[in-house]
Amino acid sequence: VSSAVVTEEEVVAPPVEEKGKPPKEPRGFKTFEFALMAPTLALLALLSIVPFFTLIAMSFSDVRTLGRIRLQFTGLENWVDVFTNPAFWASWGRSLIYFTSIIVLEMVLGFVFAVVLNNLIRGRSILLSIVLLPMFLAPVMVGLLSRFMLDSTIGLYANIMQAVGLDTDVFANPRTAMPAVILIDVWEWTPLVALIMLAGITSVPPSTLEAAAVDGAGFFRSLINIVIPQMKAVILVALLVRSMDAIRYFDVITATTNGGPADATKIIPIRLYEMAFRFSNQIGQAAVVGLTMLIFSIALANVFVRVFGDREVARAHVAGGAH
Amino acid sequence: MLNRPKPWQKGVFIVLGTLIGLWSAVPIAWMLITSFKPQQAIRTSDVVLFFTPTMENYRNLFFGGNRVGSFLVNSLLVAIISTFIALALGSLAGYGMAHWRSRHKKDVSFWILSTRMAPIAAVIVPLFVMFRVAGLVNTIPGLILAVLSFNLPFAIWLMNAFFHQVPRSIEEAAMVDGCSKMRAFWNVALPVTRPGLITTAVLCLVFAWNDYAFATSLGGPQSSTLPTAAGALVTQAGIDWGLLCALGIVIALPMLIAGLAVRRHLVTGLSLGAVTGE
Repeated sequence: VSSAVVTEEEVVAPPVEEKGKPPKEPRGFKTFEFALMAPTLALLALLSIVPFFTLIAMSFSDVRTLGRIRLQFTGLENWVDVFTNPAFWASWGRSLIYFTSIIVLEMVLGFVFAVVLNNLIRGRSILLSIVLLPMFLAPVMVGLLSRFMLDSTIGLYANIMQAVGLDTDVFANPRTAMPAVILIDVWEWTPLVALIMLAGITSVPPSTLEAAAVDGAGFFRSLINIVIPQMKAVILVALLVRSMDAIRYFDVITATTNGGPADATKIIPIRLYEMAFRFSNQIGQAAVVGLTMLIFSIALANVFVRVFGDREVARAHVAGGAH
Repeated sequence: MLNRPKPWQKGVFIVLGTLIGLWSAVPIAWMLITSFKPQQAIRTSDVVLFFTPTMENYRNLFFGGNRVGSFLVNSLLVAIISTFIALALGSLAGYGMAHWRSRHKKDVSFWILSTRMAPIAAVIVPLFVMFRVAGLVNTIPGLILAVLSFNLPFAIWLMNAFFHQVPRSIEEAAMVDGCSKMRAFWNVALPVTRPGLITTAVLCLVFAWNDYAFATSLGGPQSSTLPTAAGALVTQAGIDWGLLCALGIVIALPMLIAGLAVRRHLVTGLSLGAVTGE
């Protein structure tokens, strides 16, 4: 439980000792605790606040990267160019489809995985280990591996798809490319949701469930009426953790379609990357796109801190966690 | 345990469990099998399951035309050094955060978290410009700094969560016995959070090792890492899948082992401390 009882006043003067009471803990910046944090925060400032202001400066400039770096102030030009470009809005639109599909699929499948894992009596521990494997792979490797599995001539999965009469060149077809990259992300990150959800399920006291069983509640009734309501906090954690990472990574798309075909998978980070590194005269515009992404993730961070600030919300443990 | 399942329900769970296991394991198993296949067993539309295993692909990986030895060294340097720095600075700051009293505490923790959550694509652009000015593009120190931009806030946030779980009374008891605050941190709190330290280290290592976006855009021939090498194997001329699968195993294996070793604490680590256990 947090020891931080935040009141609004800050004690600057040395604590006055009152009779019979321990001296008040010092607060603020001139404390041992802050001294421990200071060097780290200084480095973090260098790696986050300086880039942040650089990004803002770049968004108002024409940035030349050939030879020496030069920034020439151009006012709102980049902003106008980006915001009047329909391709930018199309990218954000695709990003929203991509994020929503990923999150919904991973939440639903993660819950199913967790329920199944929780109900296995034998083999639960080993199955959990297998289920967790994909999320330790490098995302770029996951992208390349899926190209291998789905290769229309030699891919294992492509062979199976061909056998049931499905179109196999999934990355070349604008209609199937987006579902494919979504499913690849779902493959890699559903395990994380499952792990968090499993922690939630196993923390429901067995006595509650037994009482429900005595009252004649069936499997699905107790799942919906007892387990899910008690998992609210854990579900929210999974939702937020996945939301923030869904916008962070783009390696899988880079390694598979790289935004194509016909822009079908060009979500916002891919467009940004392309602007910054393929057409280097657009790096100022890339900065504007970057700022729109930052606003999105800062809003998410805000929700996360507000909900989970500095207290423990979801106390749970993964049963069957023994090695 | 969700009530006592009926026998048919038990059967359904076993079937579903098998399907889930296959869904997760088949691509990884196929990558492992392919890495030991001779070329003619890979370049065919038949599903070849029986073949004479060969180390050819691994030999090519380390001694062939596209040898990855120097990439491996770069990967190790970046991952290990950045993890060490993140862990050292992160546990100091995480402990400080856990005990710090200030009305600015919420702002600082928000800043730390939003740094961790910042989209990689949006961070690369200013870092690229800053690194160009500072001469850090295509250097190992530059890549270490870039990795720290997400691993440092992660380590602070997570260690803070782990230090929160240390009962305050243990440290107070130590201080009543005349321990200084520094000693209470070093000799009392730090040993108690050892599982937290190990979990944080493993996750930092995994994130650093698996990074591709920073390594490709801020790196270069002098600082290329293994994931960059994997990306570079994809050429217009085609892909040597055997080589790629072997490289995939080299990249994945250490992380799979490290990750499963801290399985018990993963849920805390990967939920950024929001779900805590045991």
